[in-house]
Amino acid sequence: MNLLKFSNDVFIAAFFLYSIAFMLFTIAIMGRKWSGRKPEEHTARWGKIAFITSSLGLLCHLAYFFTRWAGGGHIPVSNMYEFMSFLSMMVMVAFTVIFSIYRKILLGLFSVPISIIVMAYAAVFPQEVQPLIPSLRSIYLNIHVTLAALGESFFAVGFAAGLMYLLRTVNFKSSSKSDKRQQRGVEFTLFTIIVIIGFLASVFAFRGAGYETVFIRSNVTVDNPGQNDSTIEKVSYKMPPLVAPYHSEIESFQSFFGIKEPLFEAPFWMKGVNAGRKLNTVLWSLLSGAVLYGVLRLIVRKPLGKALQPALDGIDESDLDEITYRAIAIGFPIFTLGALIFAMIWAQVAWGRFWGWDPKEVWALVTWLFYSAYLHLRLARGWQGHKSAWLAVLGFLVVMFTLVGVNLVIAGLHSYAGTD
Amino acid sequence: MGKARKPVQIIILALIVLLGGYAIGTSAFGGGGKPEEGSRAPSIELLGLDGQTHTLDEYKGKLVVLNFWGSWCAPCVKEMPALEAQWQQWKDQGVVVVGVNVGEDQMTVQNFVNGTGVDFPILMDPDREAVRRYGVSPLPTTFFINAKGKVDTIHIGQLDLSTLSAQIGKLVNP
Amino acid sequence: MNGRLPLIVNTKCECGHQNPVGTVLCEACGKPLLDDPESGETLEMRYDGMARRSQKADPDVIDRVWNFFSSVKIAIYLIVLTLLGSTLGTIFPQESTFLNIDPSTYYEQRYGTAGEIYYRLGLSHTYESWWFITLLVMIGASLVICSLDRVLPLYKALSRQKIRKHRRFLTRQKVVLVTMVAEDPEVWTARAVQPLKKQGYRVFTDGGALLAEKHRFSRWGPYVIHIGLIVFLLAVLARGLPGLNMDQHLAFPQGDLIHIPDTSYYLKNEKFTVEFYSDEEMPEEFRGKKVLPKLYETKAVLYECTEDCGDPSKEPKLTKVASHPIQVNDPLSYKGMKAYQFDYDLTPVLRSVTPKLVNSRTGDSYGAFKLEMKNPQRSFSAGPYTLELKEKYMEFGLNEAGQPISKSPYPNSPAFLFLIKGPNLPAGGEQYFYFPKQNDKAEFQQDAINDKLGGAGRFLELEVGDMSGVDFSESTSYLNIRVDRAMPFVWIGAGIVMLGLVLGFYWQHRRIWLIVEGGELTLGGHTNKNWFGFRREVSFFLNKMDITADEKSLDNGGGQA
Repeated sequence: MNLLKFSNDVFIAAFFLYSIAFMLFTIAIMGRKWSGRKPEEHTARWGKIAFITSSLGLLCHLAYFFTRWAGGGHIPVSNMYEFMSFLSMMVMVAFTVIFSIYRKILLGLFSVPISIIVMAYAAVFPQEVQPLIPSLRSIYLNIHVTLAALGESFFAVGFAAGLMYLLRTVNFKSSSKSDKRQQRGVEFTLFTIIVIIGFLASVFAFRGAGYETVFIRSNVTVDNPGQNDSTIEKVSYKMPPLVAPYHSEIESFQSFFGIKEPLFEAPFWMKGVNAGRKLNTVLWSLLSGAVLYGVLRLIVRKPLGKALQPALDGIDESDLDEITYRAIAIGFPIFTLGALIFAMIWAQVAWGRFWGWDPKEVWALVTWLFYSAYLHLRLARGWQGHKSAWLAVLGFLVVMFTLVGVNLVIAGLHSYAGTD
Repeated sequence: MGKARKPVQIIILALIVLLGGYAIGTSAFGGGGKPEEGSRAPSIELLGLDGQTHTLDEYKGKLVVLNFWGSWCAPCVKEMPALEAQWQQWKDQGVVVVGVNVGEDQMTVQNFVNGTGVDFPILMDPDREAVRRYGVSPLPTTFFINAKGKVDTIHIGQLDLSTLSAQIGKLVNP
Repeated sequence: MNGRLPLIVNTKCECGHQNPVGTVLCEACGKPLLDDPESGETLEMRYDGMARRSQKADPDVIDRVWNFFSSVKIAIYLIVLTLLGSTLGTIFPQESTFLNIDPSTYYEQRYGTAGEIYYRLGLSHTYESWWFITLLVMIGASLVICSLDRVLPLYKALSRQKIRKHRRFLTRQKVVLVTMVAEDPEVWTARAVQPLKKQGYRVFTDGGALLAEKHRFSRWGPYVIHIGLIVFLLAVLARGLPGLNMDQHLAFPQGDLIHIPDTSYYLKNEKFTVEFYSDEEMPEEFRGKKVLPKLYETKAVLYECTEDCGDPSKEPKLTKVASHPIQVNDPLSYKGMKAYQFDYDLTPVLRSVTPKLVNSRTGDSYGAFKLEMKNPQRSFSAGPYTLELKEKYMEFGLNEAGQPISKSPYPNSPAFLFLIKGPNLPAGGEQYFYFPKQNDKAEFQQDAINDKLGGAGRFLELEVGDMSGVDFSESTSYLNIRVDRAMPFVWIGAGIVMLGLVLGFYWQHRRIWLIVEGGELTLGGHTNKNWFGFRREVSFFLNKMDITADEKSLDNGGGQA
């Protein structure tokens, strides 16, 4: 058990090292006009420190991974916490690989925060080492999940580079129709990221405060005439309920800033008490995201994209374009092998059918089709620059939906424990 | 290569049409191998109450009313008299009613038959192999198989005397 | 660039080569044929500027169909449509995920109007629908035709490359360098061979012209991927052929020998085990709160029938052919047939009881007999008494008319009616109702029924002494029995796809052309991806040749990545 304790400690250490590395990357890029030194020298010097820090973070992260593996007795990719931690680690691996090819300090500014966000998202889930249920006890758990995550991490770096490309090149001064549309697109992407941060902030804030409210709902189903089956469902909210589950009653309520009862009730088509809880979480995320966004806007007094653009001055945009493409081109075969081929092999061994159109399988296929469309458009139709960058951004959205959205919205065979 | 080009194109397109047509065709009209109305009746080989093994081929050239039933299933029990009446009415005119008992043992079937006075041939399907082949899920289900061995109609649920009579009449004298 | 070519074009190049219609760059010398000579844009190097097979001046119907499928644009549309179509199928669960539902009512009941619409649109079986299969077939067609249409011209172009190219071909590449060299052209090019070879290039020279090339095989990557996908799709199609595929979901009560339909195999579940994690194995947070299964295992023995197989009136002769402890990720496998652990049911199923006939007044026992639930004997004898089994009910109940019936064929609450004959009983015998399960005995009031049947003077009872008189199957294991003879081809297809992906994405086809003429060096370079690495390589080479050119300065802008 000492191993597991150590593992948790280095996990936190990795998180802080990444955060520091992110700040250092920020200093390296944003601060290049500060001192009297030449901007290139400043960036190179601070970038090196930042990269060393992030690499130390990655080392801690790897230490977390292997000690948890040793302590838990199986590879730690078996539940949502472990998988997301692993994914954030792979994002750092992909970043390190791409960074060592291209040596673009700026890449750190955008990749490291993705890893930090994913890592924080991991911490939302219960962190116990859970023994493996029979269906997960297979060598293919190791191969399938790790390769899929690695492939997806390269897509994440592609996303980071694509977003950078857009921030670098979208004309924020122009008011032509297509430029406006791109400005809105960039702003929306940034807003989405901020909403995710808002979600994380709300989860940890209310968790820190120990908030809980419990709703119950009794379901009466009439199977045979005259014979009622009633079941009682209970749901515990960890955030103040803005919205209560449809047709539910309060069991215990902890008031929050004078709110003594839910503001409204979930619509009837949201069946199940958990649907109400999820809607509540979404509302809180949007709310805190909007507040955060509003505050940032007040500080910079212009669209965030426009405010970020000067940071990217002097970066060669065609390099960014190529990094986007390269990251995806490196990730695509790995993704195919891990998320499709080994998934099929495992499914064949476990269930006797290599493909069953389970939602998770379908979405892995959708991801694959999306990136193959991307590659065809780029290689055979010459889509580069903006179009290609937008596809890279959108593609990562598809990846995240496959990883998170499918579990939240659609139930299937890949139901990891404790999806929030 | 220049000259061979056209034939090559034609051969490839023909292959695509053939294989693609097969793929689309089986998806649109195939459907899991269960017999549907109009498809060939799957063969069965079951032990009869008379102690003999029976197959559908024995009844070739006749209209077969293949009824899947169980003694625990109330609607099956209720439709038995109608089936028996039709069997008596049509048995000399090339119609045979065959009852396939689903999943019960010989004693139960025998007792049931003795109790209800059913006279038409009864087969037993203790391992539900015929049930699987015919894709039967709710009981009773009745297949009307014409003289050519094709499934003409599938009736799910209890049959009453008049529908049964009309159905058989329609098939015997089209 | 799609077929919208002028009807009559002079396709003869100044170098004397006659090019097919649709050629962008002269097949021999690379001179740009179509556009403005003054243009400085980088060249379109796809398929090395060759005409695709399908591009023809006057297309007929076959050409038009061919052209349609050979277009990458159409291929992309097909990919996107398949992508969108697939997502539709994930909105609600597909029919195939349920074992026993009636889809025509299920979707409406569960999801309301939206579910009803979903079902009516046929989206509850999206992936088997004709339009989805049609999309897949069209993708297949596109894979074949697109590849054929491009791979042959590309092969031709790459296998007969000329070393000396038109100067404009070089200066309009994406990597370009024009600089002065004092040396004699032939000496300079001869000197350039070694450093290039060191970098892994194959080098060809022709006087003052040089061609260096490496990793040409990477160009075949995409076509290898496409071939793999075609093999894969064909294998999937072949799975549907009769006899190549079988899929059954069967129940195997422990200890029973079960025939696997449509085969000559029988499988016996000798023992089913389910294990749970002990408290020590669980994290502290879960102890006493959660139960997690650790193992599901069916000890299975497979028998093959050797004689009297299809005939239900005879007992089949069986030989044991395989045995295996089946676990979730570890199926039994025999000659292409596999048995997978799927589900289980721990409800015990009664198989037989061995009651004793006793005299309830004296306590005398007249002996015991074995009463099977399925196909029982019809008469038994116990001491001086004979028992004739008249009726049996597997799940005892009463119908509307108050008559005893069986509510299901499963021995959940079995009941037996005997006619007992022997000493001190009426001449016609005495009827006796027997419920083997204790709780049924009480629930259905066995004693009261028997008092009514036998009168106050009755003295015989059937009793099971202890558990040794009861035989039941402890649990039932559900296995999936599958045969999939096309699987090897599915894996071969997937393997080819992977090979192609690795070839195509982890190597790049790089070429460098040089002409030294009149004291001037013209260098053009092309790679199919990773320009960054390529420029670095070219700059490294130039350094070796004592020409300083930093990576960025080689960049001619635009072009393909």
